[in-house]
Amino acid sequence: MELTKHWAAQLEDYVIDLAWAPAGGSLAAAAGSGPISLFSAADGNRLHLLPGHEQGTNCLAYSPASAALATGGQDGAVKLWDCASGQHTATAPLGRDWVEHLAWSTAGLAATAGRKLLLLGPDAALRHAFPEAAKTLSALAWHPTRAVLAAAGFGAVRLWEVPTWTLEKDFPYGNGIQALTWSPDGRWLVSGNQDPSVHLWLPAEDTELQMSGYESKVKHLAFDHTSRWLATSGGLNASLWDCSGGGPEGREPQMLEHATPVCAVSFQNAHGLLATASTDGTVNLWSPERKQPLRATVRMPGAAARLAWSPDDRLLAIGSERGAVYVLKCEP
Amino acid sequence: MSSPPIPVTVLTGFLGAGKTTLLNRILTEQHGRKLAVIENEFGEVGVDNQLVIAGEEELFEMNNGCICCSVRGDLIRILGRLLKRKDRLDGILIETTGLANPAPVAQTFFTDDEMKSAFRLDAIVTVVDAQHVLQHLDADDEAVKQLAFADVIVLNKVDLVSAAALDALEARIRGINAVARITRAQNCAVPLDQVLNVGGFNLDRATELDPKFLEPEYPFEWAGAYPLPAGSHELVIGHEHDHDHGDGHDHGHDHDHHHHDRDKNQLDLVILPVGGTAEPQLTAARNLAVTAFAGPAVRSQPGGELRPGAFLQRLMLAEEKGTFRLLIPAAGSYVVFEECGEVPLHIQVGGEPVKPGWQQDYHAAHEHNDAVTSVGIHQAGDLDGTKLNQWISELLRTKGGDIYRMKGVLSVKGSDRRLVFQGVHMLFDAKFDRAWGQDARENTLVFIGKNLDRAALTAKFQACLV
Repeated sequence: MELTKHWAAQLEDYVIDLAWAPAGGSLAAAAGSGPISLFSAADGNRLHLLPGHEQGTNCLAYSPASAALATGGQDGAVKLWDCASGQHTATAPLGRDWVEHLAWSTAGLAATAGRKLLLLGPDAALRHAFPEAAKTLSALAWHPTRAVLAAAGFGAVRLWEVPTWTLEKDFPYGNGIQALTWSPDGRWLVSGNQDPSVHLWLPAEDTELQMSGYESKVKHLAFDHTSRWLATSGGLNASLWDCSGGGPEGREPQMLEHATPVCAVSFQNAHGLLATASTDGTVNLWSPERKQPLRATVRMPGAAARLAWSPDDRLLAIGSERGAVYVLKCEP
Repeated sequence: MSSPPIPVTVLTGFLGAGKTTLLNRILTEQHGRKLAVIENEFGEVGVDNQLVIAGEEELFEMNNGCICCSVRGDLIRILGRLLKRKDRLDGILIETTGLANPAPVAQTFFTDDEMKSAFRLDAIVTVVDAQHVLQHLDADDEAVKQLAFADVIVLNKVDLVSAAALDALEARIRGINAVARITRAQNCAVPLDQVLNVGGFNLDRATELDPKFLEPEYPFEWAGAYPLPAGSHELVIGHEHDHDHGDGHDHGHDHDHHHHDRDKNQLDLVILPVGGTAEPQLTAARNLAVTAFAGPAVRSQPGGELRPGAFLQRLMLAEEKGTFRLLIPAAGSYVVFEECGEVPLHIQVGGEPVKPGWQQDYHAAHEHNDAVTSVGIHQAGDLDGTKLNQWISELLRTKGGDIYRMKGVLSVKGSDRRLVFQGVHMLFDAKFDRAWGQDARENTLVFIGKNLDRAALTAKFQACLV
C-alpha cells in the first residue's frame, strides 16, 4: 500500500466539518469561525470560498442527488449553496438555537436545532416539523435503505418514519448520547454515549446490547461497508467490535493502539481500510482482518478534528484543529 | 500537546442582586483577554469583541432526578463547541439564573472527562443584595445553597444598609460558609482579581481562613484556671452586687454574643484540678472536660456543694443567679469550664474574689442558626491513605446529598506531596500537587453542607490518622 501526500490547504479556523462531493470532484471544509472552502479534489485549488454562517458554522452535508451543499450554523439557520457557481441559494431560519446536525437522504434534508427536528426539501422549504424532543438533539442518522430517521438526545433515541411522520420506535437511554450510526445493512443502530459506553440496538429484533469499559465518552463511531466491524473512540485506543452474527456481546474488542486519546475514526466507503486519529497528530490506517492490522502511520503537526474518505476511497482528507486540511492519496 | 485548562467562573445570585452589573464590569475591564460568556438569558450583555452565547439551562439527570447526579447538558454542548477554535480562550464566564442550584454546574466539571481536562472551575462567585438577602435566606433554600457553594461572595449594595446590619449579615453568611472570601461592594465595584482567577477551588488559601473557624468546636465557651487553697469557698453565678469587674470572669469584652436557646436558670460546669497551667496540662483537662460535658449531669441547687471532678455539674439558678459552696480538697490550680461564656462567674475565698490566672474563650458548637453550616478540621499528622479513602467514599455515599462543597489539603503517609481534594455532593477529585518542602505537614479539611455533625466528622477524620 502506498500513501502519499496529495495536497494541503489552510482554513482560518478549526476544521469543524469536512465532506466530499458525492461525485468526488471537490471537498468542502468548514472553518469553525464560519467560512466554507470548496477545494478541487485534483489539486487542492480553492474553487469557492463561501461566507457560511456569521457566528460560526457547525456542520455541512452534501445532497446525494445534486450539487447542493447544506450548512448549519450558530445563527440558527440552514443554508444551501450551489457548489458549481458558489452561490448561496436558500436559507431556512430555524430559530435561535444552533443548527448542529444535518443529514441528507433521498427523502430530504434533516436538521436539528436545539430540541427541534425538521425535514427540509431540496430548496430548504420546511416539509415537516417533528414533535419537539425533551432535550437538545445531539445526533442524527438516516437508515441506510429505508426512509427512517434516527434522532438522539439525552434520554432517548427515536426512530421516525418519514412518509407517515410517525414514531416507529422510542428507545429510552438514561444518559447523554454523543454519536449515532447505522450499520450499512441497516441491521444495527449504535449510539456512542457519555456514560461512557456504546449501545447497540437491533430494531428489527427488539434486542439491545450495551458495551462498556471505555475510559471516556464515545464521540466517534464508524462501520465498515460489510457491517461487520464497528470502530469506536473513547480512550487511548480505538476499539474495534465484531458485529457479525449475534453481535459483539461476549467478544473482546480489538484494541487499535494510539499513544494519546483517539479523536476521529473513519472507514472507507467500499473497501476495508480504517483511519483513526489521535490528539498527538497521529493518523493510523488499519486493515482489521489482517494479523498485523496496522498498515501505515502518518504524523500531522496537529490533532485531526475530522477524517473523510473520498467516494472512490482513493483520497483521505484530514482536517485539523489548527485549520489545516491535508489530502493523502492511498493506493493499494 | 495539551494546554493548561481554561478557567471558568460561575456567577450566581438572585435576580436583582447585581450579577449582570458584575458581568458587564468584568467584560468592559478585561481588555486584551478573550472571554466567552454563557448567559442564561438573551440580550442582557452586549460587549464588542467578546463571545456571548445564550444558553438555556438543560439538566442531565443521571440517576432518577437526584440532584447530586445531575449535570448541565447545555454547558457540555456549548463548552465542547467553544473548544473547537484555533485560538484558545482565556476564560469562560457562566451566568446562572437567579434560582439556579449551583450543584449541577459545578458537577459538570467533575463528571464529564472532556470538561474536566479542558476546563478548570476557578470559582463560584455569588452576588448578594445586602438589602434583601436576609428575606431570601429565610424563605428560599436556593439562596442558602448559592452562598454555601460560593468561593467568593460579593456583598453588593452595601450603601443601602447600615454598618451594624452589614456586620450581622456577614456573620450570618460566615455561619453558612466559613471559607468563602467576602467582598463588600457598591454597584458591584470589586477589583477583578478578587473574582477572576482566584483559584477558589483549591485550598492554597487555607491560611486565609478565619482561624476561629478552623478550631474545633467545644461544648463549652469559656474556661478559667484559679489558684485555690484547700477549704470551702464560694462560687457565685450572676451579678450579686455592683463591684469592680477586674477581678472575675465577666463578659463585658468583645466575646461573641450567642443566641442559642438555653435555659437561663441553669448552667453547666466542669471543675477539674490541674497540675499547672502549661499547655499539656490544660489540653488534657480540656479533653477530659469535653468527655464530661457529654456525660450525665449532677444537679446542684443554690447553696449546694460543688466538688472538682471529671463530671458535669448542672447549677440550678434563680433569676439567673446562685451562690454555691466550692469544696477544694487540696491547694492547687483548678479549671472551671463554663457552658455559656456570657454568664458571670466568680470564685471567692474568704469573701475576696480570686482572679483566674489563665482563661480562654472557646468556639462553641451551638451558635449557628442555619441548617447549612461549615465544618473545618485542622490537624497535624499523617493520614492512612486506605482509611482515608474508605472514610471519604462512605461519607459521600451516605451523606453526599447534604455535603455541598468539600475541600482539603491533606498529608498522606508515604507521599512527600500534598494531597489536594475538592468535591461537590457525591463527586470528588483528589490529586497530589506540590511537595510539602519546608511546610509543616498539616491536614486542613472543610465541609459546607446541611446538618453536618462536627463531632462525628472530626472523630472519623481522627480515626484515619496514622
